Amino acid sequence: MDTVTRRKFLKLTSGAVAVGAAAPLLSIDQIAQAAIDRPLPAGTPILVVVTLYGGNDGLNTVVPYTDPLYYSSRPEISYKADQVLPLDAELALNPAMKGLKTLWDQKKVAIVRGVGYPNPDHSHFSSMAKWQTASPEKHINTGWLGRWVDSQSEDPMLAISLGSVLPPMLAGAKRSGSALPLGGLVIPKGTLANQCAQLSKPSNKDSKLMAAAATSMRNLFSVSTNVQPVLKAPAPVDPDLPTTNGGNAGGDSNLAQQLDVVAKLIAAGSPTKVWSVSLGGFDTHANEANAQAELLGVVSDSLTRFMGQLKSTTRSNDVTIMVYSEFGRRVVGNGSQGTDHGTSGPMFVIGNKVKGGFYGEQPSLKNLYKNDLAVTTDFRDVYATVIEKILKSPIEPTLGKWSGRINFL
Amino acid sequence: MDATRLEISRLYHRFGFGPRPGEYAKALVSGVAATRTAALTVPAVDAGAATVVEPAITDLGKRPAANSKEIVPFAIALRFQTQQMVVWWLDRMAASDHGLTERMTWFWHGHWATSVDKLNYALPMFKQNKTLRATCLGNFATMTKAMLNDGALQFWLDGQDNTLKAPNENLGRELMELFTLGVGRYSEDDVKSISRALTGYQVERSNGTVTINQARRDKNPVTLLGTTAVFTGDTLADFLVARDDSAQFVAERLWYRFISSTEDMPATFAAKKAFAARDISAAVTAMANDSVMRDEKFAMVKSPVEWFISACRALELTPSQLKTPAQMINFLEKLGQVPFYPPNVGGWPAGEAWLSSATAQYRITFATWLIKQSELRVLKSLTPAQRLMQSADWLGVAEWSPRTKNALRDAQADPAQFALLALCSPEYIVSA
Repeated sequence: MDTVTRRKFLKLTSGAVAVGAAAPLLSIDQIAQAAIDRPLPAGTPILVVVTLYGGNDGLNTVVPYTDPLYYSSRPEISYKADQVLPLDAELALNPAMKGLKTLWDQKKVAIVRGVGYPNPDHSHFSSMAKWQTASPEKHINTGWLGRWVDSQSEDPMLAISLGSVLPPMLAGAKRSGSALPLGGLVIPKGTLANQCAQLSKPSNKDSKLMAAAATSMRNLFSVSTNVQPVLKAPAPVDPDLPTTNGGNAGGDSNLAQQLDVVAKLIAAGSPTKVWSVSLGGFDTHANEANAQAELLGVVSDSLTRFMGQLKSTTRSNDVTIMVYSEFGRRVVGNGSQGTDHGTSGPMFVIGNKVKGGFYGEQPSLKNLYKNDLAVTTDFRDVYATVIEKILKSPIEPTLGKWSGRINFL
Repeated sequence: MDATRLEISRLYHRFGFGPRPGEYAKALVSGVAATRTAALTVPAVDAGAATVVEPAITDLGKRPAANSKEIVPFAIALRFQTQQMVVWWLDRMAASDHGLTERMTWFWHGHWATSVDKLNYALPMFKQNKTLRATCLGNFATMTKAMLNDGALQFWLDGQDNTLKAPNENLGRELMELFTLGVGRYSEDDVKSISRALTGYQVERSNGTVTINQARRDKNPVTLLGTTAVFTGDTLADFLVARDDSAQFVAERLWYRFISSTEDMPATFAAKKAFAARDISAAVTAMANDSVMRDEKFAMVKSPVEWFISACRALELTPSQLKTPAQMINFLEKLGQVPFYPPNVGGWPAGEAWLSSATAQYRITFATWLIKQSELRVLKSLTPAQRLMQSADWLGVAEWSPRTKNALRDAQADPAQFALLALCSPEYIVSA
């Protein structure tokens, strides 16, 4: 079940995909300072990318609950029609995704069906690299949002990933997005600070990796230490949720924590247009039902809570969330109450400005391709739409010539 | 940079876990060739490693039901055994007189990356560790056969769920992609075939005992990589390992973990040819003799465990004696690397992944904690001026940069501060 666990997957992927430029690491203070000095202009669209590592089972996320083939293909791990949360006469959400269902009812959720790329790869590492580089044909070293960062004027606050390791998606050729460790950094003080500052000065004797080691320590000290109030303040409160013990009700998870930090920084006015968060554990080869439902519950609850938190800020209409995984899973269960690696899966796009509804064709359970679902939508159609409509940028520097678009914004 | 200092530094830090006080200076006198031969010649008995007492890791049996009376002692015993096992291995790394065996065991642990996290029993992981140690410099086909019969690996990749009626592809795919051939060197049809060939394994989870259930085995011939046959685990291992792609792949993995995680492996890298008979020891020897060992281009970042153990050796500390071992494991966890807990089946990352401001901060805290527990014998036996002069030899660092020398000079009157800066310097975090 958890051979690909949690966010640490990132580290492997970033090891396999050479990162073009060294990733700057930000401290909370730097972002807080930037938020105060030069806040993101009001009304600027913000993209939040949610990566689900391990290969999320799309058929048990958006369930074809009236298709007899769904039940005959995976008798041990199919959801009964009376368990799921119907979206229309054919498709329903996993029972654990009640929060997302509410947002769907409010027409804030676009579900893009059958998303993938040509010649699907069944390796976690290769497939995730294809999604993150947006280059399914050829292995390249830059990520799609990294190339977008390259095309913008230099600003370490522009694109930020939560966690101490940068996903390849944000690695550019010249510049990269930044990484923000969860919980922020504790900065040494006094004599030790001076000595460490001395130790981390650049040296022309440094190899590339030694220079990177020096930079990583220098970044600890290159920040103003007296601007903490933004992050020490509690996260924005969702006016619609009851509170317990002074905080919002709802589960706590690493994804929720990441989104908490993102909500705080968006509320504070961080000059950041792209945020990246993630959740791992979706590699459900065995005993899938409970494991996946639990994870989807975390996704649904965390995103609902995040959307709620944004309501108390001035930017709730500016934020769009995009959710994806490296592949879906095999249609037929594998007999271990689980599923093996598959191909296409649904993507979610969520936000107040999103035109809720279904996009792309639902892959047929009858006409499988080598036992796998067909790919009916290329992920680059979604990326291109996001780049144009949210990041307000020409797509060519990021995706090359790409004509496909989806009308969800 | 002095080529002799560089090569000897690499021999200590990459083919072992760093020098003990005095070893590097002595090696400089004996020269590169003698140091290399010594590093590659595994002694019959390692007196240092032999001092480490093996923990009693027992079969804890079936997990009691949740909320039962028996679950509490069970959970305590499980946690205790797992911690004992982690500490035992760290002690072996720190105490070995000869570093190569533990270093190769460590390499293969990251290769056949299995985590106790999913298994939730220490004993199968303990057995796997012994298997890896026994085969770490032997024949790769022998190792692969042993790993297919390893309960921890089988359970980790759902091998026990892979049956004639319901094939599960987890183990079959990773066996080709991550363990023997490398990604893209097989087709999706091969994944389906190999998974059928691997059906029937059963694992006793609590102790890792592997058996074959013939009724669950798919005994029909399969076509794998162009060959149609009925495979057993052993013939399958031989078949995969004999492929040219396997030599290429193992050479690539050795390159990535010992020479460079950032530069591509050149076609001339000697380890591949030397692996013709699938003799791991021959490949490692060829790698240590290759001219890339003298090329400044191929720096490597020490992983957190490598950095920690080399610091223990320099500071003359024993991991199990630290206060407390749980705190030590907590530091390693913050740095992102605890033995027996790889993040996923692909093993740990390498290179810049270990160089973030977060790890810089935890490294400083961890090193401060370690230094407090060391007598700092070496530094205290030197005058302040000598400290600066001799510290590179103490730690097996090829060369301090002028930047680091300046920082160390400022702290040379204070052994603890001096040690902290030296251990957290770019020259010590990265193997030049």
